[in-house]
Amino acid sequence: MPTFKLDGKTIPFEPGDTIIRAAHRQGVVIPHYCWHPGLSAPANCRMCLVEILPKPGARPVSLDILELDAKTGEYKPVQKPKLQPACYIAAADGMEVLGDESPHVTQARHDVQEFLLLNHPVDCPICDQSGECTLQDYWLQYQQTQKRMRDEPVHKPKGVEFGDTIVYDGERCVMCTRCIRFMDEVAKDPVLDMRERGNLNEIVVAPGRKLEGHYTFMTEHVCPVGALTTKDFRFKARVWFLRVADSVCQGCATGCNAHLDYDPRYNKAYRYRPRENLKVNKYWMCDEGMLSYKEAHDGRVTEPSVSGAPRSTAQALEEAAALFSGVPMESVAVVLSARYSLEDNWALRELAQVLLGTKNVYVSGRPDGYEDDILIHKDKNSNTRGVQELVPGAKPVSALVEDVANRRVTHVIALGGSAPGDTAALGNAKIVTIAAHEGPLTKLAEVVLPATSWAEHAGTYVNAKGMRQLADKALEPQGSSRPAWKQVADLATALGFAPSWSKLKHIRAQLVGTASPDASGAHAAAAPAGAE
Amino acid sequence: MEPLDIELDEGELELPAEPMHLNMGPSHPAMHGTVRMVLELSGETIVKCDVQVGYLHRGFEKMCERGTWAQVFPYVDRLNYVSPMLNNVGYALAVEKLCGISVPERCQWYRMALGELARISDHLTCDGAMAMELGAFTPFLWFVKAREMVWDILEEETGARLTHSFGRIGGMAEPPTKDFKKLCAAALPRILEIVEEGERMLLKNRIFLDRLENVGSISGADAIALGWTGPCLRATGVAYDIRKSHPYLKYDEVDFEVPVGTKGDTLDRFLVRLGEIRQSKRIIEQCIERMPDKGPVNCDDPRVVLPKKGDVYTTIEATIQHFKLIMEGAKIPAGECYSYTEGGNGELGYYLVSDGSGTPYRVRIRPPCFQITGGASKLLEGRMLSDIVPTFGSLNMIGGECDH
Repeated sequence: MPTFKLDGKTIPFEPGDTIIRAAHRQGVVIPHYCWHPGLSAPANCRMCLVEILPKPGARPVSLDILELDAKTGEYKPVQKPKLQPACYIAAADGMEVLGDESPHVTQARHDVQEFLLLNHPVDCPICDQSGECTLQDYWLQYQQTQKRMRDEPVHKPKGVEFGDTIVYDGERCVMCTRCIRFMDEVAKDPVLDMRERGNLNEIVVAPGRKLEGHYTFMTEHVCPVGALTTKDFRFKARVWFLRVADSVCQGCATGCNAHLDYDPRYNKAYRYRPRENLKVNKYWMCDEGMLSYKEAHDGRVTEPSVSGAPRSTAQALEEAAALFSGVPMESVAVVLSARYSLEDNWALRELAQVLLGTKNVYVSGRPDGYEDDILIHKDKNSNTRGVQELVPGAKPVSALVEDVANRRVTHVIALGGSAPGDTAALGNAKIVTIAAHEGPLTKLAEVVLPATSWAEHAGTYVNAKGMRQLADKALEPQGSSRPAWKQVADLATALGFAPSWSKLKHIRAQLVGTASPDASGAHAAAAPAGAE
Repeated sequence: MEPLDIELDEGELELPAEPMHLNMGPSHPAMHGTVRMVLELSGETIVKCDVQVGYLHRGFEKMCERGTWAQVFPYVDRLNYVSPMLNNVGYALAVEKLCGISVPERCQWYRMALGELARISDHLTCDGAMAMELGAFTPFLWFVKAREMVWDILEEETGARLTHSFGRIGGMAEPPTKDFKKLCAAALPRILEIVEEGERMLLKNRIFLDRLENVGSISGADAIALGWTGPCLRATGVAYDIRKSHPYLKYDEVDFEVPVGTKGDTLDRFLVRLGEIRQSKRIIEQCIERMPDKGPVNCDDPRVVLPKKGDVYTTIEATIQHFKLIMEGAKIPAGECYSYTEGGNGELGYYLVSDGSGTPYRVRIRPPCFQITGGASKLLEGRMLSDIVPTFGSLNMIGGECDH
């Protein structure tokens, strides 16, 4: 592989790579605002300027400038090398590039940063980006000087609604055009553009249009500063209080890798941010997915109940045991859920096939929905493939509805509340549901046991491409909820069986045999340090 | 109580007896806060003395490792709480050593002057309290009156009498007030007058002298072996003063002597402290003479020093600087250092480890009186019960810095 040298460090690159991309791949960060690994390079922020040393014997590309001599107070003509944007110059074999080590580059970064802050408002105390803002980070790393301009800064529109989700602040904007390029290149809807020039620049929405579609949140995410904010997260939390868990979006079968940001003080999730995984979601997530963090709190089942009335866990288990006593196994059905982790489904399958010995295994989930060719999958369940791998012949819920109507099934143990289609007929069966969220199956159930949501326990999910991905625990369990596999174990004990699992690692050890772990999963393909 | 007037032979007294155990402290007026001595007594003679510390343990090192580097200052205020300024300056110097920065000259003189004021207050408290515990209440009141004068100056400068939290990484919280020099010049002769008055009263008192002289003696070699530093070591005749041996700030540019004792007994410790008050006065006088009236107090390193408040409210650069320093803390370069200064009781050392983040990875504090308290039982075994009071008082054990 050809290589070049950056500050003396050897960086390998693939032909066609720019300097910044090759460095990024090696985990070496060249400071930048406008460059984004998933977007084209406009080279307009000038933060990534580097000095490229001339080839031996070649004439250096340099500029004639006037430099102030501090001693004499006079300007004298000198030459300085012409700096090049690292995001635009293709790497060449044997090239020698200076970044941090070149005083010219250091000066250029300082000056670019000073220009960017020239008209920036004093907004840090009220800005949602504060604490994760590139302007703040780079000031400390590359500028470290105070304001020299005495004039009133240029004022621009603030709080402009770009659509139903995004608010724009012109004064904070550094005109990196990432949002414009994202809408153009990734969302394929070039609805944003830039108007005016110089310090009157601002981002505008095309006349007569709104910023809308399924990828508006991404414009906020690619924004390196606080110019674009989402209405959802605006003024909700200060980012330095948030902790981050590596999670997997549960919105559809794509299984986008995400950071789930939560505040441990209130045990509350605040937002999703995409987590780089080039094999799944690259750098992006859709709006519906970004908002699905709310399901950690909304529509939750947190307390056990019997016929709709709250009960303790022990009472609910007792009731379940009473329901199932003396029932012949062939009229018992078990419903797995494509919305729950492999571990949860494994536990229920174990209960069905090994302990109960029933062959009536069904699978529930959310009905299909919108799809596109960017990220969104029509299957709205996060683990359909995983359930298929566990129980290849699992029947759909519609089959269960039929079987209940025929009285072939009288008792049901179900995982998850959601089920597609008309399920009213299931009311004829006695149902025990273990669920994190309310749905048709919790409403019809005699006994409901609360399960933790994906945010409250670690779990494995298999996406539509068959990749096993791990979602870490973020929140503490809410109410009396416990991981579904644990509830299944307790239910099995209450029914008089001895479950073979009491810890997550017991299940994980079994799972290795049923479906081969995919090395390209979330953790294996984690982004290099310092990536976006 | 009625005296026992039973006629007893000498022989009858020698009944088989077990040593008596007596707990002195942790709540005892002469136990300076909270330290406990488990004594084994034979009559009034101490056979064994077990000094137990830890009653004021707050885990301050761990507390220091939770916040930012700057948030450590209030904690070090509460180490030796009779001379907090010395702890502040010592910590600031340690972090500055880690960063490789030095403060402007004006600040160095200012830190010295404030530190020596704190030393005067420390020694006045120790000597005054010791005299009081032996029944000499008047000198105590006088010494405390003199200490009030020191505290008035410190209050004028820092806004707080005791817990100043005045040190900063790369400088001080505020520049000297414009009256600082005048206040010092006016107060120092008065303080010395009071000290001399108290001294005259005590050092001509036979009872006082008898209770101090040849009590709690220790040799220089033993003191060094125990790790003693400060006035307690110097009382044994070892002239080890960090300000002279390893000068920091501007101590190598000022004239002062290191008072030493000869016998290492309680009286020597008492006298060494009084001598040091005089030397501190000399140092302060030189500081205020040489401290420039104008010029920066804080260094101009934006990585550690807060910007001006006015700029924070009006310019984005200063807002960012403020935000970074307050919310994330000054990023101290990764590394470790040991920095030591002469505290009120001796070598106050900070061993700091930085992982390059805004929070200290490790703050290890070497408080001088931990070692000194460790040697207390050596001084007391074989002595009388009543010797504990002056001897322990002269060691100046401060629970705040000792217990960790």
